[in-house]
Amino acid sequence: MSSPARTPVIRSWSAISTLGIGPDAHRSGLLTRALPEADPTDAFATEHGGRAAVIPSFPVRTLLGKKGTRSLDRVTALAVATVGGLVTGDPANVAPFEADSPVADRGLVLGTTTGSAQSMMDFTRSTFDGEKPFFVDPAKFPNTVMNCAAGRAAIWFQLRGPNATVGGGRVAGLHALNYSRRLLLTGRAETVLCGAAEEHSTARADLRALTDPDDTTRLGEGCAVVEIGGPEGGPESGPGLAEILGVRFGVARRPADAHEVLADCVRRTLHDTRVAPGDVWAHLPSRSGGTESEAVTSVLGTDFRTHTCDDLLGDTSAAAAMFAVVAALVHAAEDDAAAGRIALITAIDPTGAVGCALLRPLPTS
Amino acid sequence: MSDGHGGTARRVVVTGLGPVSSIGTGVTDFLDGLRAGRSGARPMELFDTKGFEYSNGCEVADFDPTRWQREVAVGDVGRATQFALAAARLATADAGLSSADLAGARTLIAVGTTDGEAHELDRIVEHEVGRPVADSPETMARRVPVGTLSAAVAQEFGLSQAETITIATACAAGNYAIGYGLDAIRLGEADIALCGGADAVCRKTFAGFYRLGTIAPEVCQPFDVDRKGILTGEGGGILVLEALDSALARGARIHAEVLGYGLNCDAHHPVAPFQDRIADCVRLALSDAGVKPGEVDLISAHGTGTAANDVTESSAIRDVYGKEMPRTVSMKSMLGHSMGAASALGAIGCALAIEHGFIPPTINHKHTDPECAVDCVPNHSVTADLRVVQNNGLAFGGNNSVVILGRYES
Repeated sequence: MSSPARTPVIRSWSAISTLGIGPDAHRSGLLTRALPEADPTDAFATEHGGRAAVIPSFPVRTLLGKKGTRSLDRVTALAVATVGGLVTGDPANVAPFEADSPVADRGLVLGTTTGSAQSMMDFTRSTFDGEKPFFVDPAKFPNTVMNCAAGRAAIWFQLRGPNATVGGGRVAGLHALNYSRRLLLTGRAETVLCGAAEEHSTARADLRALTDPDDTTRLGEGCAVVEIGGPEGGPESGPGLAEILGVRFGVARRPADAHEVLADCVRRTLHDTRVAPGDVWAHLPSRSGGTESEAVTSVLGTDFRTHTCDDLLGDTSAAAAMFAVVAALVHAAEDDAAAGRIALITAIDPTGAVGCALLRPLPTS
Repeated sequence: MSDGHGGTARRVVVTGLGPVSSIGTGVTDFLDGLRAGRSGARPMELFDTKGFEYSNGCEVADFDPTRWQREVAVGDVGRATQFALAAARLATADAGLSSADLAGARTLIAVGTTDGEAHELDRIVEHEVGRPVADSPETMARRVPVGTLSAAVAQEFGLSQAETITIATACAAGNYAIGYGLDAIRLGEADIALCGGADAVCRKTFAGFYRLGTIAPEVCQPFDVDRKGILTGEGGGILVLEALDSALARGARIHAEVLGYGLNCDAHHPVAPFQDRIADCVRLALSDAGVKPGEVDLISAHGTGTAANDVTESSAIRDVYGKEMPRTVSMKSMLGHSMGAASALGAIGCALAIEHGFIPPTINHKHTDPECAVDCVPNHSVTADLRVVQNNGLAFGGNNSVVILGRYES
């Protein structure tokens, strides 16, 4: 085992969302707050674009090649394409790596809510459609298991390190961050690709209509992945983009308690990482305009910036906290006030789980 | 023993066991089941099996969640979460830990699962296609998010500061959760970890395995030349992992020590196991535990009873151990494949085997497949002095994880 890293560092990132494909599209989208036009030739964007914040153009077979893409569901394609953009350095070209993969030792940790509800429910529906209940498509069966996306991404790029899927809805990105952090601190991996993915689908929209009939937020979709490693970095990585100082969690017994449980979680994290409330430069909630902001204000006062994503990206559920991490990196690079200070990412999930992370953006030389 | 981190990491022990299974619930009943070589196989009843030519499985019969849930309303959570809650209640009682003890410590809750509450999604679809379903779609939909499997455990014990995580690494998820608890305690970031796995049988998964031709018509016969596949099963298994200093300070009974674990990814095929990477995972686990192959007394195999798994897995084990292969058993012969709970129940079985000096049998065994060539302790448990035991977990997606348990010696 190598000597473990003490404070893991985010070195690079990539993303796919309604802002487009790759870091450049996200940087400009987050800073200008402008959404790209949907591609009229993209069937999915055409079908769902009116109701949800979907990817404007996601030509899976062009991006990933024709081989092996037919049985991929949307969340799997999202994860493979985003991870690919990061490891190849070219979001538009994510051809598979063969046996001599340059990233074979990488770990991969991916956050989810419930995998692909659409794949699961379609598969079950097919057991009722046919003459026999087992007249189902065997190629679609792996898509009904929640670790499908991480497993397929590993095959695509020959990622043979630790590979985990963590389920936690809006908090999932923070779970992925902490799981990755511990893989590094224990020396089980030297570099981890850490992300979270959520697809838009009819099934997801239907489920939300059942659980939250009053929620009119536009559903969104996407995947964000960051590469995390030790502070010394790789041969050409430089100092990195941000240090991960700490990640903490809590659980509210009832939705009404989430405010206080998150406030307590933020206080604990500040205390454990020896960060003073005045050191926090910005708060990036997984969901804007509500409980998260109130909870953070109760701890920090009002002297910090708030950067939101969901008003642009829609409700990206499992990917929300990872998009907040990406937004922290983007805004820190543009804001002199961020220098030497701290970004606070928070999340509250309908299950009652809450979490927060503290990142220290590093000066870009 | 080395800890793989320069000798500074805390030792971690198992102080509580909570099995909920088709062959017994609670330590006494489960231990009796393992010793007797009990079979959990019977016709499944949880979902409609009409149209399948055979449908034996290993359901937890007569499971009554109201026996265990004191805080979380039974109707608010699905069956997999109910198993996790029951297992957590059993494990904490076995460990002699109250809710106040858990609240006063830094507690991690890690629950592994394959399907989470996919059974609820199945039933929502049934409602959509016009079949009668007892619950409203709104009620079922609220049970679906897999984060609930771990969050509900914190809610049951009133732990507002607990770290909860649901690990969805399919059929190896129980081992992943145990490994995560081990790492969090070793790093000094948790004192107590409630970790393991839970899953409920569901139509989707049964139909999928059935279509792949991997469901056995009657019984699960791991390593047998005439094996015909898996039986889908269900249950929950939670272990209480605790820092040794914490366990000693409160005079806890120690079932076993967690010596180490390993995890890696096949990166090879969506569903087929890959020998070389499984062998690598075993080596990673042994190295993390500071154990040499010759020191391992027993292997609890993933041992699904499919044609592909048993040959691939036993070959991988042989790659590491050579001719001196330890006895290698499959508890799935008794429990069926309880998916995300499987390696957690396996680890509980391993801890009990160490503590009580016996090896659980591989039942339904007639003729060992020469291609496997393992001593699988056929049909009857045997007494054995066990110091170090290996517990395998392999999964779809190439997610491998191996846990090494040992007898606690001060």
